[in-house]
Amino acid sequence: MNRSKIPSRLGIGGLLVGLILAASTVWSDETCNSPYMSGLIKGQEDFIHVWTLGEKGLGDGSDKLVTIDVNPSSTTYGKVIGSVSVGGRGEAHHMGFTDDRKYLWAGGLDDSKIYVFDVGTNPGMPKLIQTITDLPAKSGFVGPHTFYALPGRVLIGNLSNNTDKGGVTGLALYNNKGAFIAKYDIPTGTVGGVKGDGYGYDIAVNPAKNVMLTSSFTGWTNYMRSLNDVVKDPEAMKHFGSTVVVWDLKSMEPTQVLSIPGAPLEIRWALAPGQNWAVTAAALTSKIWLIKQSPAGTWTAKEAATIGDPSKIPLPVDISITADGKGLWVNTFMDGVTHYFDLSDPEHPQETYQKHTGRQVNMVSQSWDGKRVYITSSLLSKWDKSGADNEQVLRGYRWDGHALTNSFEVDFTKERLGRPHHMKFTAKPAAQVAFVDHAK
Amino acid sequence: MRNNASSLRVLAAAAGVLWASAAALPAVDPGVAVAPRMEFTPPRPGTYRLQRIQAAADATLLDPSARPVRLSAVTTGKITLLTFFYTYCADPIGCPLAYGALLAVRSGVGRVAGLERRVRFLSVSLDPTIDTPAAIGNYREMVSQDSALEWDVLTARSVRDLLPVLDDFGQDVSVEQAADGSARRTVHHMLKMFLIDQTGMVREIYTLAFLQPTVILNDIQTLYLEEKPHAPCSHRPDHLRSKIQAQID
Repeated sequence: MNRSKIPSRLGIGGLLVGLILAASTVWSDETCNSPYMSGLIKGQEDFIHVWTLGEKGLGDGSDKLVTIDVNPSSTTYGKVIGSVSVGGRGEAHHMGFTDDRKYLWAGGLDDSKIYVFDVGTNPGMPKLIQTITDLPAKSGFVGPHTFYALPGRVLIGNLSNNTDKGGVTGLALYNNKGAFIAKYDIPTGTVGGVKGDGYGYDIAVNPAKNVMLTSSFTGWTNYMRSLNDVVKDPEAMKHFGSTVVVWDLKSMEPTQVLSIPGAPLEIRWALAPGQNWAVTAAALTSKIWLIKQSPAGTWTAKEAATIGDPSKIPLPVDISITADGKGLWVNTFMDGVTHYFDLSDPEHPQETYQKHTGRQVNMVSQSWDGKRVYITSSLLSKWDKSGADNEQVLRGYRWDGHALTNSFEVDFTKERLGRPHHMKFTAKPAAQVAFVDHAK
Repeated sequence: MRNNASSLRVLAAAAGVLWASAAALPAVDPGVAVAPRMEFTPPRPGTYRLQRIQAAADATLLDPSARPVRLSAVTTGKITLLTFFYTYCADPIGCPLAYGALLAVRSGVGRVAGLERRVRFLSVSLDPTIDTPAAIGNYREMVSQDSALEWDVLTARSVRDLLPVLDDFGQDVSVEQAADGSARRTVHHMLKMFLIDQTGMVREIYTLAFLQPTVILNDIQTLYLEEKPHAPCSHRPDHLRSKIQAQID
């Protein structure tokens, strides 16, 4: 055998198999992760990590990363197996993995701190290894919300700025070591004929299209204020986002501003080959919007469906798209309902199922195979309900395609943990290997 | 016919591995999230600015003659496209795919006047246990055929020597352990390709979803224009020259 020929042969065979794979691989989020991320969990997840808001007088009162065993074959199934307190309360909210899925970056909407947890070395026992505090100084932005993995980098979508703490903000880019690289303002001028509002919230990338979408919520002055006060203040209600920005990912330049009134929040791409659309849910108007590429290559936004009764302001918050892009879970916070929409025709989503899953529900995450669905309760410390309605739980469900069946529940108040918010999954690594621990 | 038959045998073997893998679906998919597709026209070279992500790591590695080589000596002075690999890698969406992309990029580099001598490919083995200097020498001989583009291939004395480099680049690997717990071999890695400018700064990282040869070639030309904004380069409209120069200044 001529050894020097081996790579060529492997190249031919590998490329052919690669093409077969490319044709058959279903693109999707596993609970809405970046498509750049490695190590998607396509089987049974072992752990759920919950970024939890601290509550004064409950436990140590600090924000914390809570780890729950969610493998039904485990003796500690459905139980809290650990928590890592960050030693302060800064409005824990969202988090995201680095591209190698070994580190979780978790942000505080109030103190703008970013905590980096090692979840790769031992997923069942995360460790806080780094705290990044220079976001406001380096970028001028505050309220780090979305943490989106890019190769070797984390792109952070922020909610506010450190000048007037309003909604005009931008994106901040860090490398995986935690060093600031660059900032990108959300446009306030006219782009593609539509005026931008400068507001930020979610980030969603379609690498095959070289397109990034960003959505828009509201600034610190609103999200750190009582929801009752905000809705009673006509001036405050003017300061919610009403745009989605289309970006050229390579150049990081905005190419279009799309008008989507009512605070479009989470964005999910249908990434199956041949698909050219994404959906978002507008919180204040209770609508699902379809963002689709036109034959000319530009992007359009179209109202596609109504969620609940908009006159009652059900407040759709988190959404989760299925692996094949044909279904969408939507949580509405105010009425505590989890909705399922059939997305087979994305132009006309149809609600086919709903269940009351709590007195207040916010985040919803599903497993890759769609058989398990998890919900948490907390929205924001000052927007959560009060009294008996201030239920703070994580609930796990089984989904058989027709109905949700409760499989376990963790009461975060009884456990003296706080308010559960964002969830991320991990799984145990294979036993025979050790993953390299990237020193920070 | 003989080559075709060999290729088919490799394909059949790879398909068998895939079938076996699918039959026992692991909890964690060790592969990348997506396969590369490109459904857009990328921005032209020099019309955008590549981010300065991080300084390239440095270490002492070995060349095919087993001579010590500072990694920084082959990540500076030219635009460098660094890939970690191993010579026997058969993961269909790993090294072979990267190899195919590199050949496509090299072909494109060769078509741009003056660019070939400013670009270097660098392949660093992830498995010094198997990829001895002699083994990477064979590999270099194979990849260097029919091209004037510099394509260096390095290995390390040991996994222990290599791990700090991988750590610094953020190259994800898992390590097979011997009975005494010592690192024996690297056994899996996430495909990453690093574009490094002539000063040794990583300016782009291509994972599988990003492994688009046309974009990589444009990025190389963009770095080339940073170095020499007046140099001939394909696709560069003259009216952008001032914009590029302004960015550089």
